[in-house]
Amino acid sequence: MAFRPRRALAVFWKDFLDLRKNVGLLVSMAVLPAVMVLVPIVVVWTYVNTPNSADLRSVAQFYDPTLPLGASAARFLIDKTLTDWFGLFLVMPVFVPILIASQSVAGEKERRTLEPLLASPVTAAELVAGKSLAALVPAVVITWVAFIVFCVGVDIVAWPLVQGPLMPNALWTFGVLVIAPLFAFFGNGVAVLISARVSEARMAQQISALVVLPLVGMVGGQVAGVLKAGLGFYALQGAVVLVLDAVLLVASIRLLDRERLISRWG
Amino acid sequence: MSGIDVRGLGKRFGDRVAVEGLTFHVRPGEVFGLLGPNGAGKTTTVRMLTGLLSPSEGEAVVWGHRADRDGEGLRKVVGLLTEQPGLYERLTARENLRFFMKLHELDEAKAWPRTQHYLERFGLGGREEEPVGGFSKGMRQKLAIVRTLVHDPRVIFLDEPTSGLDPESARTVRDAVAELASEGRTIVLCSHNLSEVERLCERVAVVKKRLLLMGPVRELRRSGQALDVRVDGEAERFRNVLAALPFAPNVLAEGMRLRVMLEDEAHAPDVLACLVGAGARVHSAVPAQRPLEEVYLDLLREEGA
Ligand SMILES: Nc1ncnc2c1ncn2[C@@H]1O[C@H](COP(=O)(O)OP(=O)(O)OP(=O)(O)O)[C@@H](O)[C@H]1O
Ligand SMILES: [Mg+2]
Repeated sequence: MAFRPRRALAVFWKDFLDLRKNVGLLVSMAVLPAVMVLVPIVVVWTYVNTPNSADLRSVAQFYDPTLPLGASAARFLIDKTLTDWFGLFLVMPVFVPILIASQSVAGEKERRTLEPLLASPVTAAELVAGKSLAALVPAVVITWVAFIVFCVGVDIVAWPLVQGPLMPNALWTFGVLVIAPLFAFFGNGVAVLISARVSEARMAQQISALVVLPLVGMVGGQVAGVLKAGLGFYALQGAVVLVLDAVLLVASIRLLDRERLISRWG
Repeated sequence: MSGIDVRGLGKRFGDRVAVEGLTFHVRPGEVFGLLGPNGAGKTTTVRMLTGLLSPSEGEAVVWGHRADRDGEGLRKVVGLLTEQPGLYERLTARENLRFFMKLHELDEAKAWPRTQHYLERFGLGGREEEPVGGFSKGMRQKLAIVRTLVHDPRVIFLDEPTSGLDPESARTVRDAVAELASEGRTIVLCSHNLSEVERLCERVAVVKKRLLLMGPVRELRRSGQALDVRVDGEAERFRNVLAALPFAPNVLAEGMRLRVMLEDEAHAPDVLACLVGAGARVHSAVPAQRPLEEVYLDLLREEGA
């Protein structure tokens, strides 16, 4: 059972080709990044346009009662928004691979294309590798592109107030370059694992989304100010996710065993 | 070494026995038919022989590869046409085929001419760049057959290759199967279509969970000897007399006609003597070969009883 990269790449090639032609999936994949990028830009724009509003100051003081009188409430809230949004932004690299991987694994069962595929020499490890790559590459690329658009957008709308670039900062750069791919790996692993057990892509998507909800909840909790998240927190989270990724990978390869796949869907 | 060797092969799904105690041998270059009704275990058998399911009992060696241990090596030399075409609808015909060439790690430049030949053969030439989603059922089936052949397999399993095809396409497929056989490939054909098995296969195994009967198609026919007798008046009157004969297990009466199944055609004169003895006025007696279909249905009926 040697691992043949060419066969894994063949699976990647096919899935990627199929994704490019799947307009419905592409549209549903585009919604999340659009929201993730537009919402914070609009929020920052609002702060920039009402820097002296008394409401802003009271909101800012709610978060930080020690805010010095001379400090700009708008600037404080912009910084806070950018930090908080980081957590939500990480939802994107988790969910995009769930959308893709569910389609590509459970979708093969649903359309009965799995049996001919399994009748070829491809091994379970090659299948998992190829399919994961086909989910991870678009997820990471989309996240990075969205990040670039986000940075440019925030800097443009914040410039009048800040008179300099706000983004990218250290937290975001570290998160998007290191944490996002790990999260993407996690979402993919969950989706592949679940897709191996259910027979419909839609069901795989929904269950996977449920499974990764705790992760999103952790992030959401931080937004609500429950957790004081910083670089260290995300680094730790990254390490945990890395371990989970490895476990998921091994489990998926075992679950994608031919006997199981063929005899379970009938 | 080569060919297919099946010994005591069986498969259970939970409590349900799908196949049991199957033993047969397919010679290299032979076209072998697996004939059986719905749910007889044909697909299950073929899945075991291609390493997709592992047997619950027994073993199978296909072209020198143990099906349960060396699935990867096995799948390099066998081609499987699955019951469902299972094509990627958004991809074009060419992309579908290229995917399988890549999976088999073929040099696409070398594999194309051969594949192109089969595409032309099946009337799919010129449609390569169209998405399969727009193909008719028959076109899909034919494309799936071409896909089965991209890696030039020595052993080919065809699970109901003509299902869903119109008579003309079915004929194209049958001709192609004959052509593949003439190239020296070993072919296992699953079907419940008797005439197809009759036309294409040298030997056939009739299965219904277990092996019911196996042999050259010619011999199966011989087990289907019959005598058509025309008598005066209602043929029904003589049915019981004949059915009492030890060598005529099965007698059908229809109008003035009696169809007497014989274990051996040497008994034909005895049948006539018996009829005359019973007072029948015999107009004609013609030896008839029962179509394989009747033999087959009888076999299944006996099995069911
Ligand atoms: N994955 C499975 N799980 C449980 N039972 C199964 C499974 N696959 C097949 N069976 C059972 O095994 C028996 C044989 O099925 P199989 O598909 O091999 O028959 P077949 O001869 O190919 O029939 P058909 O002519 O309808 O294609 C059936 O009773 C079927 O219900
Ligand atoms: Mg079948």
